[in-house]
Amino acid sequence: MDTEEKEDISREAPVQLEVDSISISFGGVQAIYNVSFQVRKGEIFSIIGPNGAGKTVTLNCISGIYKPDRGRIIFEGQDITKWPPYKRAEAGIARTFQKIELFSGMTVLDNIRLGRHVHLKSGLLSSSIYLGKTAREEVESRKFIEEEIIDLLEIEHIRNKVVGMLPYGLQKRVELARALALNPKLLLLDEPMAGLNLEEVEDMARFILDVNEEERWKVTCILVEHDMGVVMDISDRVTVLNFGQKIAEGRPSEVQQNPEVIRAYLGDVEDLYATRR
Amino acid sequence: MSWLPCGLYHEHYREDHAWWQTTFVKGKMLLLAIFAIVILPYLDLVAPDLGPYLLNIAVILLYTILAASGVQLLIGYCGQVTLGHAAYVAIGAYTCCLVLMHGPALAAMTNDPNPIVRTLAALFSLLMKAGLLYPAGIILAGLAAGLWCVIFGLPSAKVKGFYLIMTTIAGQWITVEFFITQYVSQIGGRQQAFTVLPEHFTIGPFTIDSDRKIYYLGLALVGLVVAVTANLLRSKPGRAWIAIRDNDIAAEAMGVNIVAYKLLAFFVAGAMGGLAGVYWLNFNYIISPEHFQWFWSLWWVGVILIGGVGSIQGTIFGSMFMVLVMEGLKALIVPLSGAFPELLDKFLFIKEALFGLAIALFLIYEPNGLAYRWWQLKNYFNLWPFSY
Repeated sequence: MDTEEKEDISREAPVQLEVDSISISFGGVQAIYNVSFQVRKGEIFSIIGPNGAGKTVTLNCISGIYKPDRGRIIFEGQDITKWPPYKRAEAGIARTFQKIELFSGMTVLDNIRLGRHVHLKSGLLSSSIYLGKTAREEVESRKFIEEEIIDLLEIEHIRNKVVGMLPYGLQKRVELARALALNPKLLLLDEPMAGLNLEEVEDMARFILDVNEEERWKVTCILVEHDMGVVMDISDRVTVLNFGQKIAEGRPSEVQQNPEVIRAYLGDVEDLYATRR
Repeated sequence: MSWLPCGLYHEHYREDHAWWQTTFVKGKMLLLAIFAIVILPYLDLVAPDLGPYLLNIAVILLYTILAASGVQLLIGYCGQVTLGHAAYVAIGAYTCCLVLMHGPALAAMTNDPNPIVRTLAALFSLLMKAGLLYPAGIILAGLAAGLWCVIFGLPSAKVKGFYLIMTTIAGQWITVEFFITQYVSQIGGRQQAFTVLPEHFTIGPFTIDSDRKIYYLGLALVGLVVAVTANLLRSKPGRAWIAIRDNDIAAEAMGVNIVAYKLLAFFVAGAMGGLAGVYWLNFNYIISPEHFQWFWSLWWVGVILIGGVGSIQGTIFGSMFMVLVMEGLKALIVPLSGAFPELLDKFLFIKEALFGLAIALFLIYEPNGLAYRWWQLKNYFNLWPFSY
């Protein structure tokens, strides 16, 4: 892949999301401490780190499920630190979850339709009559879902199945579909590859690159992932967290050679000997 | 357009969004409509004894469906367990009753010094001239019950599950045992029960005073409630409710304002309860706080548990089951009461015991309710006899 070219694009692009020294603690546990980074428009930005490093907490702070104790989060020039999650979704931040969080009683199509929630305008009265405005709006939204999302993610065959019955890999894909239905500007992906087999991982990586690069989408992605192969292949920049603190940031090749990162993942040589003895 | 689903090919998305998609289903619904609109109400022309009896049962059935629809919406679709729905039914009934009782008096107060009262009086006299006092009462009852329900739905912003059940039970006691018994029933200084004469139930040129007309009004209200529920469920609010039920964290992350949509669900459910209250008033002509005991709140939850949680058909099937089984029980016990007179004395207890037994058996053997059985049956016959 032509990584050099992508680097240049991302360096010039304007900052879309700025995380400004956020900290959050749960009881006595300092989950993240003073983490800052900037995500530029159109890039794939990965957050990696060992288990418990605070990657998902960071993502939850960006999507609004947690509120940071200190620090600010700025999205497209607006300070969204105190916004509730639904307002952030309206602003264009969509996400997927580490542990699949689909609406298990609904069909695949209805799950994706819910992703269009912020774009639908019909209120209680016009919805209960379901003529004119609402019916038109539903058809338009359906057209978008079928032609842009279901077609892109290749889930035509399961659109009327109840999601609870689907295999894990497809559920992950439906979750991505639901997030894309929001037509997001920023997509937060929390371990999209976890638990997938090689073929599914390749598919998922292809979908992420598609929505990132295609002129139609151009979605900025923040990726939290343990599969280093994928992260190093598709990311423009990588941030490494360890015990809630940022220890490195840069292009994938730079991060791979960073001694701090190697120490975080493998431990000190002395430590290794100490534990073996 | 095809007869059965296996030959169904849509060319427009609109066709796929329709309620009834095959000719077979449309024919079935047409037959049902003919039965409900033409055959059942005029059955007394052929069977003078059976006809009115069946019509009476149908009226009770329609009332049960109306009341249980709101419970179904809250529990089955929005996941907010309510055990106080009789309170909202009561609010609806009392609102409509007060409008009918005091509307004429208010309309006469055109010379009141207070301008607000004068405006109201002018409005009410207009309504009375047009014969629209009762429709206005129905609408006001729906609104009042809906807003009342929202008040007791407010805690749902903070609490879930068992705690919310406690607040809705509190709603029941505060509303019926306290507010209505102690204050509303004292309006006019009469006794506890309010009565409204049949001639007050006029919609334009029609007076809803005969069994048949009452039945038609119920049919119209149930049709309205079912159609509204079905339409909401295929558009934005209904999907948001189901999303909240299935996974509220994900729903909020996808842009659903959870508190607003929960309260909207409470409003719609309360308004449906209010309509049920109006209907109760219309076929009894009398209301008293005893008609809205906590037992009924439980009863309607039982209706949807037996019928199927999260299904419109479930509400209807559950209501049919409860009403018909209780009628069957009466038919069984009355002949036996000659030999065992205490059966008649203790009928209420037998009824409640059987209600509990029915719910327990359904939870054990068919937790998805009658609607699921019906769905299974339909699925089987969709491809019958070549189901593989």
